[in-house]
Amino acid sequence: MKVDAIPQVRSLVTKSGRGSKPRLSDSIARYAIYIFLVLLLILSGIAAPSFLSQQNLSNLVLQTVPLAIVVIGQAIVIMTGGLDLSVASVMATAAVAGTCFAGGVGAVIEILVVSLFIGGATGLVNGLLVAKRQVSPFLATLASMIVLQGLRFAWTKGAPSGGLPPILRVVGSGTWHGIPVNLAVLAVLAVAACFIVHFTLLGRRFMITGGNQVTARLLGYPVDRIIIGSYVASGLLAAIAGVVLGGYAEIVDNQVGRGFELDSIVAAVIGGVALSGGRGTIPGALAGAAVLMLAANAVLLLGLPIQFQIVLKGVVIVLAAACYVRR
Amino acid sequence: MSITATTALPRNRARRLPEQVLRLGIVVLLIVVITVLGCLVSDRFGTLNNFLNVYEQSTDLALVALGQTLTILTGGIDLSVGSMISLLSVLTSGIINSNGDLVLPVCAGIIVLGMVIGLINGIAIVMLRVHPLIVTLGTGAVLQGLALLYTMAPAGGVPDGFDFLAYGRIADISVGATIVLLVYLLASFLMRRTATGRNIYAIGDDRHAAVLLGLPVKRLTMLVYTLSGLLCAMTAIYLVARFGSGQPYAGANYTLASVTPVVVGGTMLSGGRGGVIGTLLGAYLIALLNDFLNFLHVSTEIQLVVQGLIIMLAVSAYREGKRG
Repeated sequence: MKVDAIPQVRSLVTKSGRGSKPRLSDSIARYAIYIFLVLLLILSGIAAPSFLSQQNLSNLVLQTVPLAIVVIGQAIVIMTGGLDLSVASVMATAAVAGTCFAGGVGAVIEILVVSLFIGGATGLVNGLLVAKRQVSPFLATLASMIVLQGLRFAWTKGAPSGGLPPILRVVGSGTWHGIPVNLAVLAVLAVAACFIVHFTLLGRRFMITGGNQVTARLLGYPVDRIIIGSYVASGLLAAIAGVVLGGYAEIVDNQVGRGFELDSIVAAVIGGVALSGGRGTIPGALAGAAVLMLAANAVLLLGLPIQFQIVLKGVVIVLAAACYVRR
Repeated sequence: MSITATTALPRNRARRLPEQVLRLGIVVLLIVVITVLGCLVSDRFGTLNNFLNVYEQSTDLALVALGQTLTILTGGIDLSVGSMISLLSVLTSGIINSNGDLVLPVCAGIIVLGMVIGLINGIAIVMLRVHPLIVTLGTGAVLQGLALLYTMAPAGGVPDGFDFLAYGRIADISVGATIVLLVYLLASFLMRRTATGRNIYAIGDDRHAAVLLGLPVKRLTMLVYTLSGLLCAMTAIYLVARFGSGQPYAGANYTLASVTPVVVGGTMLSGGRGGVIGTLLGAYLIALLNDFLNFLHVSTEIQLVVQGLIIMLAVSAYREGKRG
């Protein structure tokens, strides 16, 4: 199945694959997430006209951006054939560490350095475990999630840690002429990730490594470094997302980003990133994040009990994933 | 997939025997090391009473992890266990509502319901052909939502005497933990001695080959998730017995925690290799570790850190070689 994912690789290893011609159902599946996103927007607008108010839309974007930033990293890891369960723990740890600095512009640089160090180091450990020790990604990142969680709770003793400096509060929750400031952060990161993954040789190598590691080794790619790189990227992005989300929350506590590890996987998968690796797009994954947040918002618009958000999320996960399965 | 499978096969065969020794060896070694360290730290650690206590404390985790072992052996995973336990535990105490007459019918009903939910997981995995991780993540979310729709707070209660299941003792031996031990012995026997058990290993080892051999892969997949549901129902009832009522987040921690004893006990996430006895030892190891750290007066936070490091240590010692 993984071999089928990449035409070039398939031609190297086997002559008789299943039909390589793009089929209609395939191209529908490719754009399903965007169609679904537009439908959700239209239906939400019909269900409640207040949905389209500038205020509501800008709130929605503010809330979606941190998830979207994490999803970029998660998508890169999954495309490379892995999985990162430690992202939420990295987010919270980065945000909590950020509250230790108070004051002006200098503090912002310090916070960025410290949080990026936390994210990068965690990613490096994850990557080394996966690439060098062949630990399954699920376990390696689960273990580092637990370790970070323990360290964080030991550091804060479980109490909320206060807020981030005002400048980061603006980045996390401010708007400029009605446009959320954090959207700019996402835009920069998304464009950069999109360019690297889809338009450079490096991105190609991520995909081929995820599609079939054996082939990637045969092609002479530095597979270990590619895998480690994907986890480091995910750790760095999670750290940035943690600081942005910390800036959105008034009080930063140990639970910042709780649930993001699974939500980010779900967003990437419903956005068309295959868990088996080697397939998917960054814009698709971002659309997945938007759909997830819009679906949660729709439950509120329809006046349903808030618990339905969780039920609906579950249904969306299974159905969306079923859409991408190759028959 | 086909490439990795074929290249990996001969190496696996060659390593099969030493790996089995290694598998239980690591977890046994860790248990011995912690026991020795514990005895050095405190006189009370080495007492029979303490060991019985640890044995009893590993009950709930061991029970969930047994079902998890089966799904992992087939190369899948069940991430709905936590939510399933939450839902079933609130239903148990909510419906019994301290009425002694309802205990037996409700418990029977909960067990059946657990199996039905597990079967639904299995059918969804087989029919939709979606990765089990995603399917059970989805059904887990649905079940958690249903639990919260049923109640947002601890619900109902159970009559006196129900806690016998959790705290009851016959000659100082915990009843609940002994039942779990017997379930494990039965499961181990079935997995080793019956065709169904061996077929479950075969699916996880090489699904494609299992299909070519004509094994009932779909039915077996549904079976393991049904069994996982059954064991979740048992865990839910046990937790209600222990806490006196069901809570809508009672199971939340078990989702990921249930994977730990399985992998520490030497079962590979990629499927096909491992066994249930390793999981039992893994669950015991975790309870023992927490007990040991309690003797050292280490805070629960640092206990988490140590647990995470133990996972890293144990799994990197096994070297999976396959992605899971």
